[in-house]
Amino acid sequence: MAEEHQDQIYLQPIPVRIWHWLNAFGIVTLTVSGAQIRFPDYITWLGSYKSAIYLHNTAGFVVAISFSLWFFYYTFVARTMANLYVPKVDDFKSGILKQVKFYFLTYFLGWENPHHPTPDSKFNPMQKSVYLAIMFVMMPLVSLSGIFLTNVDPLRGLIVMVGGLKLLAGLHFLLACCLIAFIPTHVYLATLGRTPTDHIKTMWTGWEDEEEGHKKEPEGSTPTVSS
Amino acid sequence: MKRNYELNRLWIALLVAVFLLPLSVSAMEMDDCLGCHGYADEVGEELFIDADKFTPTVHAEMGCVTCHESVTDEHPYDGEAVSSADCLDCHEELGNQYIATAHAENAVCSDCHNPHQVYGIEAVSGPEMNKQCSQCHEDADVMASHAEWLPQASLHIAKLPCITCHTSAESYEIILNITQKQEKEEGLTGYRFSSYADLKKYSGEKEVQRVIDIDADNHISLAELRTFNRNPAYSDLHLSGTMVPNEVSHDLSTLDNRYDCTFCHASGPGSMQTSFLSFPTEGGTYRRMTVDEGAMLDTLYGTPNFYMTGSTRSAALNIIGLIIICAGFIMPIGHGTLRFLTRKNRQH
Ligand code: HEC
Ligand code: HEC
Ligand code: HEC
Ligand code: HEC
Ligand code: HEC
Ligand code: HEC
Ligand code: HEC
Ligand code: HEM
Repeated sequence: MAEEHQDQIYLQPIPVRIWHWLNAFGIVTLTVSGAQIRFPDYITWLGSYKSAIYLHNTAGFVVAISFSLWFFYYTFVARTMANLYVPKVDDFKSGILKQVKFYFLTYFLGWENPHHPTPDSKFNPMQKSVYLAIMFVMMPLVSLSGIFLTNVDPLRGLIVMVGGLKLLAGLHFLLACCLIAFIPTHVYLATLGRTPTDHIKTMWTGWEDEEEGHKKEPEGSTPTVSS
Repeated sequence: MKRNYELNRLWIALLVAVFLLPLSVSAMEMDDCLGCHGYADEVGEELFIDADKFTPTVHAEMGCVTCHESVTDEHPYDGEAVSSADCLDCHEELGNQYIATAHAENAVCSDCHNPHQVYGIEAVSGPEMNKQCSQCHEDADVMASHAEWLPQASLHIAKLPCITCHTSAESYEIILNITQKQEKEEGLTGYRFSSYADLKKYSGEKEVQRVIDIDADNHISLAELRTFNRNPAYSDLHLSGTMVPNEVSHDLSTLDNRYDCTFCHASGPGSMQTSFLSFPTEGGTYRRMTVDEGAMLDTLYGTPNFYMTGSTRSAALNIIGLIIICAGFIMPIGHGTLRFLTRKNRQH
């Protein structure tokens, strides 16, 4: 093992990888079944409406539980939650701008990514702010609104207090659209590594090549970019 | 005017006399009958007829003797049994439809209907219709058997009269009822239908429907609905929706297409367009008022607490959602194009 990973760093521990792929497949399932639930007159991919509802509810709970695992792991086991996900003052002052400049300008000129991922600082400042919005605002809200929608009758009092079932369903739908919109962006940025599949492999194996190691790569001429 | 009215009454009285004389041997009028049968201490609970409830119904227009032909002037001292008319004599269509069902073995008309308190479907609330069934089908049993195949069965049963799924109809309409938080003393949490007295507390001097029908035109506009739903003074009230047949049929049975959720949870042409607001009346019945078309589909404030997935989705939100999803492709497409065009720069 040690031999094999000589020039690599262990970036994504097992719990994170399990969570990531559960979440990814979960969200695709939720998107497909959610689409049938909202547009049953046009979309009937999953057979009956009832199976779409059951699938959606099951996938919803899987995603909600895997979200809790993720939260628990980073906060209590790895204890790197704040470090990794909460942008620092510097990030706001210059980090985000630097990163935006890289993605939208210097990347095309062939410059290197100003951010170098380590297990303690995996994400660049731009990633941090986007992931913060998604993981701390959208995911909890979409799960919470989903849980309300699966228990309309018992939670009616709360639902009325929040502003109504329609508001809740509308919120759930729009948040879901935001998460769906994130997928193509996320997948695309993940292909900006040394090779298009580099980062995706990392998320599967856990190991990321060191910056210096790129000489060893057969085609290793492209600079590392982290998505 | 007055003379005309008197004349009319004379004619009616004559007509009734002509029709009924050969049939009945009694000269007693409704008021005479109610003189005894209108008081429980006079005839006992069993034979008591609630005059307040009976008099406003269409059956009262016919008088007692029309249905109890054999009653004599000596009644009740003649010891004769009094005949009661058969519902089918007058309700041939509905009656025969019901008699043809297997359920006719289980219940007769008067198990569900009190002949002295008949109401049209528009005058009865969903929960009251269901009370007719729950005399024999216990709520807990129904809930348990329906929960086996119906998700959120308690929500469905609370929101749908049994006859919506167990009788057929050409089409359906959405009825909105005002509901309110239950008081602590009532023991239960949740919401119940507001009674006339409840609403009177809100409307004060005015008629109860003025709580929503601000301009008193006997029609609820979308603007009036939104005003009601956003009025903080009514924060304890909310509108609860239910789907009911637009016409009563009595082919009581289990209809297979009700297994198919998209019978309700999909938008067909014109579905969810027709709706009514149902107000309680002083007499304990209900009265419907028309509502602007499309109120169910209003994005937020038309009916904030009525949402049937698949059929009441808002078109405005669909468009916003589509824009959001499209925005997600800006990065791959835009950035990807530039990436392709500048690929040489990255080949050091
Ligand atoms: C003087 C009081 C009195 C009046 C007036 C009266 N009833 Fe009765 N009625 C009774 C009593 C008492 C009984 C119970 C008799 C019995 O059990 O034999 C009864 C019984 C009945 C029954 C039930 C009979 C049965 O076999 O179960 C009917 C139906 C009925 N009355 C109809 C009428 C109608 C219709 C009128 C008016 C045309 C009327 N009554 C007027 C006192 C009255
Ligand atoms: C539309 C027809 C109809 C009219 C009108 C009507 N009844 Fe009846 N009544 C019936 C029928 C049918 C029954 C038998 C109910 C049963 O079998 O349970 C009945 C039963 C009764 C009974 C027996 C007790 C009971 O409630 O079952 C009494 C007493 C009675 N009627 C009195 C009256 C009086 C008094 C009036 C007028 C104020 C009146 N009815 C008007 C149809 C009618
Ligand atoms: C003598 C004729 C007659 C008899 C007998 C009769 N009805 Fe009716 N009933 C009417 C008429 C007339 C109406 C009003 C028009 C209509 O809805 O068909 C009516 C209306 C009704 C309504 C609807 C009330 C409304 O406000 O729309 C119900 C429910 C009803 N009857 C039930 C019964 C039942 C149950 C019986 C048997 C116990 C019965 N009727 C017996 C004549 C009768
Ligand atoms: C299993 C219960 C049940 C039985 C049995 C039953 N009905 Fe009904 N009936 C209902 C319900 C529920 C409604 C709708 C609510 C209402 O109007 O009370 C209704 C409505 C009606 C109406 C009013 C229709 C309208 O247009 O508003 C009539 C008339 C009627 N029934 C006649 C009959 C007759 C006649 C029989 C016997 C042959 C009968 N019903 C048996 C449950 C029943
Ligand atoms: C007087 C009692 C009584 C009333 C009132 C009554 N039912 Fe029933 N019903 C029965 C009995 C008894 C059965 C047969 C046993 C069973 O399935 O529970 C039955 C069976 C049924 C079935 C099963 C029929 C089948 O084909 O599988 C349905 C559905 C049903 N009732 C619906 C209703 C509805 C809806 C109402 C109210 C509008 C109602 N019942 C009111 C007694 C009643
Ligand atoms: C959403 C539609 C729907 C509603 C609302 C509904 N039912 Fe049913 N019901 C069905 C279907 C479909 C079946 C057949 C289920 C089966 O075969 O397992 C059924 C079966 C039944 C049965 C026969 C099975 C059993 O439980 O013994 C009865 C009785 C019954 N319903 C009564 C009622 C009553 C009473 C109500 C109102 C409180 C009601 N239903 C409301 C759709 C509905
Ligand atoms: C007869 C019409 C009808 C049928 C059939 C029906 N539903 Fe419903 N459904 C409703 C109504 C009415 C509501 C409650 C809407 C409200 O009060 O906001 C509802 C609510 C729901 C909800 C919660 C709504 C939400 O906004 O999250 C779900 C989930 C649901 N139904 C699923 C199903 C499934 C699955 C089936 C088939 C097994 C089904 N329904 C069959 C009428 C129906
Ligand atoms: C995370 C990604 C998710 C996506 C993309 C998504 C998508 C959708 C969509 C498009 C709808 C239809 C909306 C409408 O009818 O207005 C819907 C409905 C619904 N969603 Fe989600 N959803 C997600 C998460 C969840 C979660 C975590 C839950 C909770 C368990 C959940 C539960 C529900 C429920 C209950 C409904 C209403 C229909 C039903 O009761 O099954 N969803 N969802």
